[in-house]
Amino acid sequence: MRIWRHRPGSAMLAAVAALSLFTAACGSDDSEASGGAGGEGEVSGEITLLTPIYEGTDGEKLLEEELLPKFYEQYPDVSVSVDYTTYGTLNEKLTTAVASGLVPDVMMMGVGWIEGFADKGVLRELSEFGITGESLKESYTEQIVQAGMYDGGVYAVPIMLDTRFAVARKDILAEAGFDKPPSSWEELREYAIALTERDADGTLTRAGFDMLSHDLRQMFEVFLFSSGASLFNDDVTEPTFNSPEAVEALQFMTDLINEHKVEDVGFSSTDAQVHPLINGRAAMGLAHNNLWLQVQESAPELADQLVPFLINGEQPGMFFGGTLATVSANSEHPEAAAALLEFLSSPEAALAANEQRGNVPALTELLDSEYVRQNKMVQFAMENLEHAQNEGGPPQWLEIRGEFTPAIEAALLGEKTPQQALDDLAATAQEAMDR
Amino acid sequence: MSMTTKSLETTAGDVRDRARRPARGRRSSGRKLRRAGWLMVMPAVAHTIVWIAIPVVATFVLSFTDYEVFSAPSFIGLDNYVELWNDDIFRKATWNTVVYTFFTVPFSMAVAVVVAVFLNQKIRFRAAFRATFFLPQVTATVAIAMVWLWMYNPQYGLINAVLSFFGLPSQAWLDDPDLALWSVILVGIWQGIGMKMLIYLAALQNIDPNLYEAASLDGASSVRQFFSITLPMLKPATFFVFVVSIIGAFQVFDQVYVLTDGGPANATTMMTYEVYRAAFQDFRMGLACAQSVVLFAFLLVLTVINRRLTGGDDQ
Repeated sequence: MRIWRHRPGSAMLAAVAALSLFTAACGSDDSEASGGAGGEGEVSGEITLLTPIYEGTDGEKLLEEELLPKFYEQYPDVSVSVDYTTYGTLNEKLTTAVASGLVPDVMMMGVGWIEGFADKGVLRELSEFGITGESLKESYTEQIVQAGMYDGGVYAVPIMLDTRFAVARKDILAEAGFDKPPSSWEELREYAIALTERDADGTLTRAGFDMLSHDLRQMFEVFLFSSGASLFNDDVTEPTFNSPEAVEALQFMTDLINEHKVEDVGFSSTDAQVHPLINGRAAMGLAHNNLWLQVQESAPELADQLVPFLINGEQPGMFFGGTLATVSANSEHPEAAAALLEFLSSPEAALAANEQRGNVPALTELLDSEYVRQNKMVQFAMENLEHAQNEGGPPQWLEIRGEFTPAIEAALLGEKTPQQALDDLAATAQEAMDR
Repeated sequence: MSMTTKSLETTAGDVRDRARRPARGRRSSGRKLRRAGWLMVMPAVAHTIVWIAIPVVATFVLSFTDYEVFSAPSFIGLDNYVELWNDDIFRKATWNTVVYTFFTVPFSMAVAVVVAVFLNQKIRFRAAFRATFFLPQVTATVAIAMVWLWMYNPQYGLINAVLSFFGLPSQAWLDDPDLALWSVILVGIWQGIGMKMLIYLAALQNIDPNLYEAASLDGASSVRQFFSITLPMLKPATFFVFVVSIIGAFQVFDQVYVLTDGGPANATTMMTYEVYRAAFQDFRMGLACAQSVVLFAFLLVLTVINRRLTGGDDQ
């Protein structure tokens, strides 16, 4: 655990405090505008931050050398200990933290996580700090606000979004005589078949549509959303991801691989160092918005050749996850924690964090930022957020979601039919929800 | 008279005192020794109680509860065990663990014996060879798994490159459910050789060279000597290696976590991986404890069977 503490000298402390009070009095401070975490002078304490973002040297540098110093300018009596982790180990961190009673004051977690932790009483409802659903809807789109809510209360404020949509290589499409990306499932199938290439002995050299470089659960969810199906019913009491529309979505994916052979099992994986769209091993595929960063780093000349598009079934399908900031229910310094939450989700701090990861800012006002304007993938995602849907729903989602990938693999590998795979999955989910 | 009697009594008292003094000294010295003994073992006892006994007892107790970390455990009797009994994935994980153990333990032991015998000879670069074989043992499993991940890569991995060189088709080693478990087993065998070799090497150096000399004089071939002297003399080491290897194999986790994440379609999930999933992904600590108890029961039974089969109680 890296610990970052602010220990300014007393003279400097007084100067900064005076300056921040003056700034607060004169400026339009966000925290006060939204009810805030109290007056800045009143906020104090040593708090901890658990974060799966700001990872790596660059991330730590951003947080510790750029963002937190600005936070301390506003809140000189607060010190923050940062515990860095990754999404892969966030579960373990949170579990052990809760079990040991040492829950961080501010926790960042993903979309779909909030319900479970809020249901168990780990998170603090944020209305006491003036953060309500209505106030958030002024700055975020409805579905993003909903991702941080549970049982009518707000428990999290979004910082960044991770979106998934389809991307095509314009140059490869052109070679095959297609001048625009597919606009329906049928066209997607047609294009994918036409764009698939194999060598003389039948070995796949280019996938028509790459599905295997991506998390299969999220891949399926894009098609599921596109089919018009949903993961759960409206009151989140029953899974609906085995509805006829959802089964059709998985059947479509299964057929692409097993019948139309647009990609072979093993051709790519989530461990692939280079996305197959970049090295030409795929003509189309599902991608994360940070594909833009990868292209800029490894093959900037391809930037103009990447065309994002939505998979259109009954409706456009796009997935969004993301990172939200929460406050622990047991925080001894809730005002300081809320102040940090508000700071990290403020336009300036959120933009910097998004830029570092190539992610999509959750704040609507950042659509006009230079970062968004210059990042084709992020811009596309933000312009189409109205179509984006997220996973989650029941408090047991973290348990249920772990069962998705094996179920989808079983269907793709022909071990089960899509109907069997999704029915079994739904039975497992229902059991968890009823427990 | 009285003087004489007193004098005699004094004399007798002195004798008794003298006789008592060494005895008391011995008792005192014994007490000191015992106290010192207890002090010496206290750290180990404390360690055992705090880090082994209490967690083991807690695991057993929690296995009968519904404990989701966020709230206090509630007693549910045998429900967790009933759920495990009916859980297809845990059954598959148990089977995969048994298969993994069945193949990794004997194969790696066999290779380790041969390598140890080879490295016990006076050959050039013996130390370098020993270090090389032991290297996988001291390298982080995650790092090893990353290397194997590259070797198994269907497109640019070393193994498919070799197959391609011989005109054989490429394989999706970790994505094909028929191959994935065997791919994990191969890594397990390779990684397990180092430690076993080291133990065998130590045991080999305790075998009396006169036995080999006598066998040679009697005309026994090297192969005969290996089967009639080396292997029998390695029996205690074999028992130890076998037990430790079985326990290690049943606890396989790292390479599954890194190489396959239990997939594809749960083809490589193991008991420990299911424990991890239940505890840290599903937050079901009670269920995870029940899985751990089942794992413990497997290991206990296997160890007892092994002890009986190898006559371990003679050692």
